[in-house]
Amino acid sequence: MATSHSERSVQPSLAKKLTRRLEVRMALLTLAIAAILSLLSPYFLTHSNVFNMLDQSVVIGIISVGMTFVILTGGIDLSVGSVAGLTGIILGLALQQMPIVPAIGLAVLCGAFIGLISGILINVFGLAAFVVTLGVMAIARSLAYIFSGQTAISNIPEDMQNIVYTSVLGIPSNVLFLIVLYLLAWAYLTYTKGGRTIYAVGSNKEAARAAGLNTLFYSVLPYVLSAALSAVAITFSISQLLSADPLMGNQMELDAIAAVVIGGASLYGGRGSMIGTLFGVFIMVMIRNGLNLMGVSPFWQGSAIGTIIIVALLVERFVSARVSR
Amino acid sequence: MLLRMRGITKTFDRTRALQGADFELVEGEIHGLLGANGAGKSTLSKIISGHYARDGGEMTYRGRDIRLRGTRDALNIGIAIVMQETSLVPDLTVLENIFLPELGRPGRLDYRKLRRSGEEILDSLGQQDALPFDLEVRRLSSAQKQLVEIAKALSVRAKLLIFDEPTASLSPGEVERLFDVMSRLRASGRGLVFVSHRLEEVFALTDRVTVLREGRTVMDAHATSGLTQAELIRAMVGAELGAIYTERHEDNAVTGPVALEVSHLQSAPLVHDVSFKVHKGEILGLGGLVGAGRSETAEAIFGLRPRTGGSVLLNGKPLKADSPKTAIRSGLGFVAEDRRTQNIVPDLSVKENLLLAHLGAHRGFFCGYGARTKRVDELLARLDLPGDRMLDASMLSFSGGMQQKIIMARWLLLGPNVLILDEPTKGVDIGTRASIYSMLRDIAADGVALVIISSDFEELLGLADRVVVVSDGRSTADLPSSVLDEEKLTLLAAPRTSMARNTALLNDLTRQYGGAGFWALIEDESLICLNAVVKDAELDPGFKAGEARRLSETRVPLALSRREAGFVREASGGRETLVVPVTSPRGHDLGWVGLSLREGAALPPPEAIKSSIDNMAATL
Repeated sequence: MATSHSERSVQPSLAKKLTRRLEVRMALLTLAIAAILSLLSPYFLTHSNVFNMLDQSVVIGIISVGMTFVILTGGIDLSVGSVAGLTGIILGLALQQMPIVPAIGLAVLCGAFIGLISGILINVFGLAAFVVTLGVMAIARSLAYIFSGQTAISNIPEDMQNIVYTSVLGIPSNVLFLIVLYLLAWAYLTYTKGGRTIYAVGSNKEAARAAGLNTLFYSVLPYVLSAALSAVAITFSISQLLSADPLMGNQMELDAIAAVVIGGASLYGGRGSMIGTLFGVFIMVMIRNGLNLMGVSPFWQGSAIGTIIIVALLVERFVSARVSR
Repeated sequence: MLLRMRGITKTFDRTRALQGADFELVEGEIHGLLGANGAGKSTLSKIISGHYARDGGEMTYRGRDIRLRGTRDALNIGIAIVMQETSLVPDLTVLENIFLPELGRPGRLDYRKLRRSGEEILDSLGQQDALPFDLEVRRLSSAQKQLVEIAKALSVRAKLLIFDEPTASLSPGEVERLFDVMSRLRASGRGLVFVSHRLEEVFALTDRVTVLREGRTVMDAHATSGLTQAELIRAMVGAELGAIYTERHEDNAVTGPVALEVSHLQSAPLVHDVSFKVHKGEILGLGGLVGAGRSETAEAIFGLRPRTGGSVLLNGKPLKADSPKTAIRSGLGFVAEDRRTQNIVPDLSVKENLLLAHLGAHRGFFCGYGARTKRVDELLARLDLPGDRMLDASMLSFSGGMQQKIIMARWLLLGPNVLILDEPTKGVDIGTRASIYSMLRDIAADGVALVIISSDFEELLGLADRVVVVSDGRSTADLPSSVLDEEKLTLLAAPRTSMARNTALLNDLTRQYGGAGFWALIEDESLICLNAVVKDAELDPGFKAGEARRLSETRVPLALSRREAGFVREASGGRETLVVPVTSPRGHDLGWVGLSLREGAALPPPEAIKSSIDNMAATL
């Protein structure tokens, strides 16, 4: 009796199955963009530029990890840039009082606490993620200015540079950190109960709850992670610049959301992956880098990035309409 | 000819909902559109009403080819649908809802004119003053909302009205009134499509019937009068019904220990007082109308909905209502009603969907899928599921029946003590239904206590050992299914509004004459009590509302078995009892009302009592 169904449904072809793999689509897109840019600029694929781009990927890459978690649950975090700015100032101030490790720990904890508040407001009180994180974005930036006294904190201990300028097997430590972070995040999302719950929450929260999953905890966790990782990201920035500016991280949320969305995640939640996001980050950095190499004015770059985000969303809409339903 | 459809096809994603359906409708007829769940009735009616565009086939309306691009197109040419979930705006008034299409026109609204035409419409339906025009729609009963929908259709001069399962949430009295309205619409020359799976309603109302099975028309516009119930069932099912509901093993389950005991469960605002027990290995049916609070009861037991009172014992231990996780770890499973919104996680693979409840119950950092592999394979084999499609990206590419089996497997994997299934065959085609039924029996035979919620009374009676009826958030009856049939269940499930009326009647009678009154269904040697009011404790008839008794077990056996035109004195003496039949204005048998008085009391004339009962029946 049950055979009547398999007859009534159609098996997808292998090619279709392959293109359904988000990662495959992303890798192809990244390669295509790299090819185009290397044709446009001979400097693009040089050793130093590639390492330069990897270095530029670190801060946005770290923030995009948290953003991926948040977007996977169907949420959004507009506050990452401001939280990065605020925690950067906190780190700058803390470094005046205490050694490096506890100072970084304090900044990350402060970030996590801010994320916890956002997460609770969104998931316990049922406020819209967009509005809550918009509010937190304004508050965090304003506190960054107040705590810093409106100026950059520049007397950062030089030992901070060890965080960035050490290299292991020829790979700079910040790039190495990024790679390890993505591996861990990928493994977490793929192989652990928490990771699968995050996908389930974003895909169908009601069904996840009815199956006994802890939907509340795993809806709040991504916001905590996102804000904490903002603090981690800004730590790398500060150790490179040896200065903490209240303006740091400005508009970083745009780049992070763009990277995640270009990486194939659905803003409705449930769909996306760390590998996709990593490619999304590379694409963002490559395009910015390529536009710079070609001497495109920074004022035009905003238009370029914005267009890319919208096109990515359009593509996602067509693909998801084809894949599901 | 009002409407003619030939070879209509419609495919949703990979499911072929319609694969060559024919249908026709003439002016001045009520045409029954029948079929089992998933046969394509709703899809076909939504193609007529413009909700869906057809993929193929021809559709002519009043002689012209039509292609509808939306419901507005359909309304413009006079096609309207009265749906299960109403399309009304709850915060607007009745009048505004009736003339909703007018509200969209430019210019000022003349409320006085609207009110007048509203009154005219209701007059034409024989429902003068049945609707308070200035009340917001959210405060109406479901029967009233339906009337607003009908009036709304008439306000745009609809020529063709589709009624999609219009009786699913109505009491028998309200059904009668709806049928009266529909007969008037037929008399006015309109064409009506009546979508239903309740056969007695189809026979009572329709002129012709069309039967769909698996997306095809298998009986095309056949005159109702020339059909028997058996022929219709055969057409709908494609087999004898007996084959679907295989024999039930009588009274074997009730002996096991109690697995789940719910007492006086309360969960505002829909669940007021629900009690029932289910034994190990037993199948218990929770019957009632749509909206009676059955799903909410299940959710409150399972921890998805806060309880406001009462208690739940699982295997004799209290079960807290704090979260589904607690319930699952204590051995409870719940297949919720709406697969798409409550069960399926579309972005996870089929395999992970199957393992979702395992993940919920699992303690540990990783998923622990590996430990379940063997059991998953066993279940796939047992449920006849294709193992090679487990890694498919999405559940949504499976048919409804297959999805349901996977969701059931999700719970069976955990080896639950009690499994609650809400409408387990909703949107499941007939072939898979049969295999789901036999699965459920096997599960019960393995010692799992099953609670099945279903609005399909036939299914409920075919499957359950015992049925608890829920009406307006209260459990009103607890009876073995062997004493029930669909008609009795329908009467027992009637909402409180009609219950209130018959309670009022019994109150009136006992206030006037003293003694005790009851309302019961009587068949052969047994009785089911719908309601009882005892003023004089001496005269207790020996049964309460919702109870079934053999006539000989009651305290008024003689009067009940004789059912004479006058008072009957029991052999044991002490009381005189009058038993009077109740019939609806359309001639439906609504059971018997009895009044017991003390022996020697002044007996009122039986005619007086009969006429007050008839008066009440006319308002039902």
